Amino acid sequence: MNIVVCIKTVPDTAQLRFDSNNQLMHDNLEWVMNPFCEYALETAVRLKEAIGESATVTVLTVGDARSKDALKKALAVGCDQAYLINDDRFNGGDTVTLCHILNAAIAKYVPDAKLVLFGQYSSDQMSGNVGPGVGQLMEIPSLTFCKEVTLSGEQATLKRETEKGIETYTMTLPGVVCMMKCDYELRMPAIKGVMKANRTEIPEVKLDDLGLSADQVGAGGAFVTSMSFTRKPQKTGGQKIDGSDPQAAVNQLIDYLHQQQIV
Amino acid sequence: MVTPPTPKDQFSGIWVVVERTQTGTLAEATFEALTAARQLAAEQGNTPITAVLLLGDGDTPDPYQADLAAHGATAVLALTSANLATYSGQGYTQALTQAIAAKKPALILAGATSTSKDYAPRLALAAPLALMPDATQLTMGSSGQVEVTRPVYAENMLTIVTAPDVRPQMVTLRAKAFRKGEAPAAGASVTTETMAVDVAAPTLQLVGISASEAASSGKSLADAEIVVAGGRGVKGPENFPLVEALAQSLGAAVGASRAVVDAGWRPHSEQVGQTGKTVSPNLYIALGIHGAIQHQVGMTSSRHIVAVNTNPDAPIFEIADFGIVGDLFEIAPLLTKTIKDKNLTPA
Repeated sequence: MNIVVCIKTVPDTAQLRFDSNNQLMHDNLEWVMNPFCEYALETAVRLKEAIGESATVTVLTVGDARSKDALKKALAVGCDQAYLINDDRFNGGDTVTLCHILNAAIAKYVPDAKLVLFGQYSSDQMSGNVGPGVGQLMEIPSLTFCKEVTLSGEQATLKRETEKGIETYTMTLPGVVCMMKCDYELRMPAIKGVMKANRTEIPEVKLDDLGLSADQVGAGGAFVTSMSFTRKPQKTGGQKIDGSDPQAAVNQLIDYLHQQQIV
Repeated sequence: MVTPPTPKDQFSGIWVVVERTQTGTLAEATFEALTAARQLAAEQGNTPITAVLLLGDGDTPDPYQADLAAHGATAVLALTSANLATYSGQGYTQALTQAIAAKKPALILAGATSTSKDYAPRLALAAPLALMPDATQLTMGSSGQVEVTRPVYAENMLTIVTAPDVRPQMVTLRAKAFRKGEAPAAGASVTTETMAVDVAAPTLQLVGISASEAASSGKSLADAEIVVAGGRGVKGPENFPLVEALAQSLGAAVGASRAVVDAGWRPHSEQVGQTGKTVSPNLYIALGIHGAIQHQVGMTSSRHIVAVNTNPDAPIFEIADFGIVGDLFEIAPLLTKTIKDKNLTPA
């Protein structure tokens, strides 16, 4: 059973800083593993533990040298192999070009992948397009918004959280599963794992290794272009009252709700 | 640049992919998408709007036609296959790919639901089409090119995206960003076309669903007009009935901060914020929620924010329209009682 996890390194969105023109300040960004990718990774490692030695976990990322720390962390928590897919010719691409890159990388490095895990979406671009898109290119099923995966032979049972409740699906593998936040704790790398990760070579994959042409990736292959990025208009606080007399405070609140025609 | 298989000018019209609830009624997301479609169609000089239904055997468009027409659909396209009786991303992708090849719509709209976010990314590669998810604002350019505003960077930023060269364009719409309009054309009729599509038997099967309490009462967080959320200040799961009682008095959905979900007090389905849900209700009441940036990003687009917290320096007050520095154990029950005594109901 060969499992692939596709992860992304993103700016820590709790530490964003903006200049006076509401533009993001790109220096001093902290780079971290995308939160939902942490759950995809944890799920993969748990499945490997459940299956035993016959399972392998390969982790892939498309990104520059900043993405290497996340790959090392993935190796340290139990992944077997990691690839950094990095080429300047990917710049200017969109989620469609990313799908082509990852599909080609999986075909080359893990051709018999049974399960391909993604985080539901990345906290920076927030599209959720890449996981199902890779499923389409691989011509295998995909399911989004999952929070639990159990395997039984060639079949996966998937728990999915939607507006309708908790759904249970069965999927005939191979398949793509996109993970939300799960109910289990994320593990921290142990010293032994970190040492193993430091010994494991992380190959750097270039466009030419993937058999794709330059016009399938980067701006030439992109369908969607961004015209602008700006800070969301900031909400500012209104009135703040003292609640030491609860009934008086509640009465003022009710007045406010009336004024705003909420009740 | 990518060469589209068909020249751009051969694509025309707006589609709305219809979504239904478990009970078979039209989903709120569909009405919101029709409202958005109508506005764009008007800007373009009354472009036709086709409502697209995906139907299994024995399923018919009949119950929906009048409602779809009343909300602006000028035609209904029913795609039918025995294998569309249950949802699968592959099945929806196959059906819509065939319909798009036959009809060539310029723009496809759907609510940004867990369904559209599951199949649309596949469709983007299969059709192919330019997918722009989670729009909070849409404007139509003169060349029929939509400019889509969507949140990025954990809701801290907005980007405007377009697809200059690819048709169709597909946009999924963030819940409540486009409010359901009045039915402007009650009594209008539509022509319905049925198209049989080839859909392979799915390798993915829904085998069970346990409706969450919120979903079964119909007050899902995303759709709720009022949300009452509790944080660490609630001090324990045993005190959440306080939050639930206030929610009930207002017909509201219950939300929670990450701290209380991580502590196991509340289910993840109630979590608001990064790694949880993003909500934009008319009123958001935060009880004992500190208001870290990770929480704020999930609720800051609420129209009105009320916060109750004992800590006057809690960051939640920086974004609250009405803040009470006080004890939620005193304020919340009194508020519930006052709402009930005065028989106050949401406007």
